[in-house]
Amino acid sequence: MADTSKAPSFPITKRRLRFFGLTSDELVQLFFRGNAMVSVLVLALITLFLFREGLEFFGQNQQNLQVYRRAGLDYVDHMRWQEQDHTALNRYLLDVRMKVMADLTGRGGLSVEAANQRLEAFDQYSIRFDDAIAPLRGLVSELSETASAIKTKYYINEDKRTERRQLLAAGRADEAARVEVIQVDFARELEPILASRDAYLAINRDLARELQELASAARAVPGVPVERMDRFGTLVVQYVGGFPQIEQRLATWDYREDVSLLRSFSAFIFGRQWLTASFWQDWYGVLPLFVGSLMVSMIALTLAVPLGVGAAIYVNQIASPTEQRLIKPCIEFIAAFPSVVLGFFGIAVLGEFLRSISGAAWLDWVPGFPLAERLNALTAGCLLGLIAVPTIFTLAEDALQNVPRSFKEASFALGATRLQTIVRVIIPTALSGIISAVLLGLGRVIGETMVVLLCAGNRIEIPDFTAGIAAFFQPVHTMTGIIAQEMGEVVRGEIHYRALFVVGIVLFFLSLTINFTAQKILRRYRQQPL
Amino acid sequence: MPSPLLPSSLGSAEGRNPPVVRRPVIEIADLDFHYGTSQALHDISLSIAEKEVTAFIGPSGCGKSTLLRCLNRMNDLIDGARISRGAIRIRGVDIHQRDVEVMELRKRVGMVFQKSNPFPKSIYENVVYGLRLQGVRDKTRLDEAVETSLRGAALWDEVKDRLHASGLSLSGGQQQRLCIARTIAIEPEVILMDEPCSALDPIATAKVEELIHQLKLRYTIVIVTHNMQQAARCSDRTAFFYLGKLIEFAPTKDIFMTPSNPQTEAYVSGRFG
Ligand SMILES: Nc1ncnc2c1ncn2[C@@H]1O[C@H](COP(=O)(O)OP(=O)(O)O)[C@@H](O)[C@H]1O
Ligand SMILES: [Mg+2]
Repeated sequence: MADTSKAPSFPITKRRLRFFGLTSDELVQLFFRGNAMVSVLVLALITLFLFREGLEFFGQNQQNLQVYRRAGLDYVDHMRWQEQDHTALNRYLLDVRMKVMADLTGRGGLSVEAANQRLEAFDQYSIRFDDAIAPLRGLVSELSETASAIKTKYYINEDKRTERRQLLAAGRADEAARVEVIQVDFARELEPILASRDAYLAINRDLARELQELASAARAVPGVPVERMDRFGTLVVQYVGGFPQIEQRLATWDYREDVSLLRSFSAFIFGRQWLTASFWQDWYGVLPLFVGSLMVSMIALTLAVPLGVGAAIYVNQIASPTEQRLIKPCIEFIAAFPSVVLGFFGIAVLGEFLRSISGAAWLDWVPGFPLAERLNALTAGCLLGLIAVPTIFTLAEDALQNVPRSFKEASFALGATRLQTIVRVIIPTALSGIISAVLLGLGRVIGETMVVLLCAGNRIEIPDFTAGIAAFFQPVHTMTGIIAQEMGEVVRGEIHYRALFVVGIVLFFLSLTINFTAQKILRRYRQQPL
Repeated sequence: MPSPLLPSSLGSAEGRNPPVVRRPVIEIADLDFHYGTSQALHDISLSIAEKEVTAFIGPSGCGKSTLLRCLNRMNDLIDGARISRGAIRIRGVDIHQRDVEVMELRKRVGMVFQKSNPFPKSIYENVVYGLRLQGVRDKTRLDEAVETSLRGAALWDEVKDRLHASGLSLSGGQQQRLCIARTIAIEPEVILMDEPCSALDPIATAKVEELIHQLKLRYTIVIVTHNMQQAARCSDRTAFFYLGKLIEFAPTKDIFMTPSNPQTEAYVSGRFG
């Protein structure tokens, strides 16, 4: 600043109070800049933390899958799946029996004993079918034990290795030396498993022969519908047809094959199982959670979009001022409910209510009705819809409010009715605003945790979409739900812990995309309304 | 025709016989109008002749727009606005009767607003908006209507190559002519214009004024204007309002050359307003 020691001829300078060489104006500026910077910094830190904690998962999962292969679990699983497929066929027979039984005792008017008698031949057939798998089952359980043992041995040694490293790091070399670590020799350990191949092939051959016989005998079984048994026969033939492929896979199986990082990645993204703390093998597949989140959100939007947008149109365009004053705060008040309270309501009231109306006779035609589970995707979706309504309503109402009044007047002056004006002018003009309102509602719904945790039923499984619309009435688990549920019980730094972080990253990206799209649409709309 | 100023006639419209309007389309009789509790129009009576341009002039807030908006019941949109006395008849029908279908009325009495307000749609869609409302789907009919209306609004040559561009991409004057085209597309009998040129530059204003001269051949036009020259140039008859009252209503040249009322004279000569 100017030198004020000698009197200036043009006195426009002024001495200002300074703190640390800054004027008060500059201080205020600094304060605001500081606040802005803190927000940006915190956001950056959160993102960074999320990635730092999460990304290591893929390496760990690669290791996890590698051990799965090295210890022979992978090998045994091929046989295990073969056995499980047989069990599924068995269930088919059980289902046939149940239907026939119900028919005989119900419409047929037979006593249970008499009905059982009728089904004697069928039961014989079923028992024979079940018995056929016994040898394979024995082999699988034997091999499973061996493989599990190898895996356990490996992990115990890994733990010891870690322990020794820690001791060494702590400078306790003598204690470290006492920790005994051996290198697990997978080739030798796997010998018994691989040696079982001949036995397996023999068992398989017998199994195939027996099943083929059973398949051709299927339609001759008396007392049960021929079509269903025909179908059973076909299924069995298909099943047996798959045997050579399994044998082929086992023949070429090599424990030394490495698992790539890409495989670890795709096992996460496309994995259909999320299975943790299992005795056999842990799987971290995000797909069931992703599908669950998506399904619940879709249900929520199907509900919230008509409600929110409809209410916004009504309040903004049709309602009288008194109605406006009444409706607006009411809808906005929904947002004030803690979501845990809504979840509680969902469990106690909505779930029960939905189940009871689903039992109504006139709703019989809806597939999946009556509902088997009180808590399912529908229950959670309905509540989430309720949560999304205020967001969608408020933003859509804003968008409608931004439509210039002159458009409305022009439309009326051309002889339009109120409805025509709304449909032809107001909504098209506000459309991008409404779309972004819906997207932001979706963002709100995807991120919601408490309600889904309480009301979605929390079954980690991809719903059975072959059931059509009934898939929406099955319990699901969600990405937010799983994090909230499992984060408390995992060990920091462990694979499970990191897997949850990766789920968090997926959520983060999803929300980011949704918000970004919404902003983009809004911006386009502001620049060029068309 | 104008009588000399008589002392008894000061401050009222009765000082001179109201002009004999042949074939009146619109007759306003003893009209009082309220916004809630405040009265905006006091005892207005005047007739509007067919295929003439009638101008409403007067200082801001004197009720010109209010009266104009009564003619196609645009005031219905305003809460608390009501006609408290008198009647408006268009071709003998009281337009505020209960069984009047407002939408039908507005199809017959179109309106152009002060601020041009094309819809955020294409030029084409703007013009056919009114027809689409009436359920016209026939493409050739719509195309024809677009051409005739745009020609009628002296806009065709400027936009014929970009009918599907946004109406908002036009200049201010073009937008106002688009609004006029949109209005004449549904072939009303009367066109109401509320200060249609107040937001336009002189060249655009001249174009609209020229347009008004042509439109007069087919439509009855009522125009509100702030611009004295405009009223003088465009209109056949002029009504001067002051504080919600009709002060003087006479053929335009009389109003400007030999006003019978001193207030009118003061206003048209620019001494107040
Ligand atoms: N929507 C309204 N609500 C209440 N008063 C209004 C409304 N519109 C206009 N007025 C009042 O009515 C009077 C006439 O207004 P207006 O017809 O717009 O005047 P002009 O068009 O001659 O400038 C003014 O005093 C104005 O304040
Ligand atoms: Mg006005």
